[in-house]
Amino acid sequence: MIRSEAVEIVAKTLSIKDIAVSANGFMSRDLHGAHDRAANFYMIGSMGLASSIGFGLAIKNPSRRVYIFDGDGNILMNLGSLVTIGSYGPKNLVHFVFDNSAHESTGGQPTNSASIKINDIAKVTKYKVFMVDSKSKLETILKKIKKINGPIFVLIKIEKSKYVSKRIEIEPKLIKARFMKAIRNR
Amino acid sequence: MKEDIQRRVFNYLMKKRIENFVGVPDSTLKYFVDQGLKKNKIIIATREEEAIGIATGMSLSKSASLVFMQNAGFANSLSTITSLVEMYQIPLIFLIGWRGYLKNDAPEHAKIGAIQPKLINTLGLESKILTEDNWEKSCNWAIGKIKKGMYCALIIRREFVD
Repeated sequence: MIRSEAVEIVAKTLSIKDIAVSANGFMSRDLHGAHDRAANFYMIGSMGLASSIGFGLAIKNPSRRVYIFDGDGNILMNLGSLVTIGSYGPKNLVHFVFDNSAHESTGGQPTNSASIKINDIAKVTKYKVFMVDSKSKLETILKKIKKINGPIFVLIKIEKSKYVSKRIEIEPKLIKARFMKAIRNR
Repeated sequence: MKEDIQRRVFNYLMKKRIENFVGVPDSTLKYFVDQGLKKNKIIIATREEEAIGIATGMSLSKSASLVFMQNAGFANSLSTITSLVEMYQIPLIFLIGWRGYLKNDAPEHAKIGAIQPKLINTLGLESKILTEDNWEKSCNWAIGKIKKGMYCALIIRREFVD
């Protein structure tokens, strides 16, 4: 399973009320390519911060689920975020980390997620943790997590790939404006 | 800035509907943060960039937010300010403690304290220095900015050496 396939499987399960935030680089491109919707916040810059933005959204929108599309390189830049999220324990936060042990957006340089398991770190910070490495297991887990409270952490093992989704053409200010409009009725 | 003024600044901002106070502590802002902790209104982040991310999520939910930090943390945050706050035009108030304002402050504050005004200007970050005389007017200015969907900074000078 490559990232764009995994992102598509997750994105297809988002319901109209759900909020999504995606990490910079190929992650946001994949989400945009798979299922563009106004309630997706594509974080184009500020590497590492998708989980923090998602946490702020989760606190302020308790009646909606917030889905974070994160990468291993991204979360490793902001591990403190796991501590903050875990200590507040938002029930509506679901954190996906698509893990290929690489900074794929910058040319596939390695991260250290192969030797230090990010799902183990998430467990210590009091997330409910799941790990999947195939499409069928991912589909099963996606059904399961709909019925349980967060914070939920799903580590999705993916393979590196040459496939690159196309660049997001929407202006950042427009991404923000349509996002705010979509989540306004909280 | 004196203890009672710092506490009044916090109470005033809260009364004026600033709902979220997220940041990393600074002894320059000690009483401001303490007042917020007493009111159970403070979220302490692990780093300043994280604090800006959290406050961004809150601002996107139409909930007015302030991020507090030392100027060392402000230096950490430059890329987040340019590629998140400025790029998406996120309404936020930054409250920054100006370490190194006094010439005899600790050595680690000297350089950042000296270049802080220039850095703020270069970023195009509109700011006001909070004093015991102007704090209410400056808070109103900042609240006006975020109501218009803009971001800005309030600075508190470190006028003591510990």
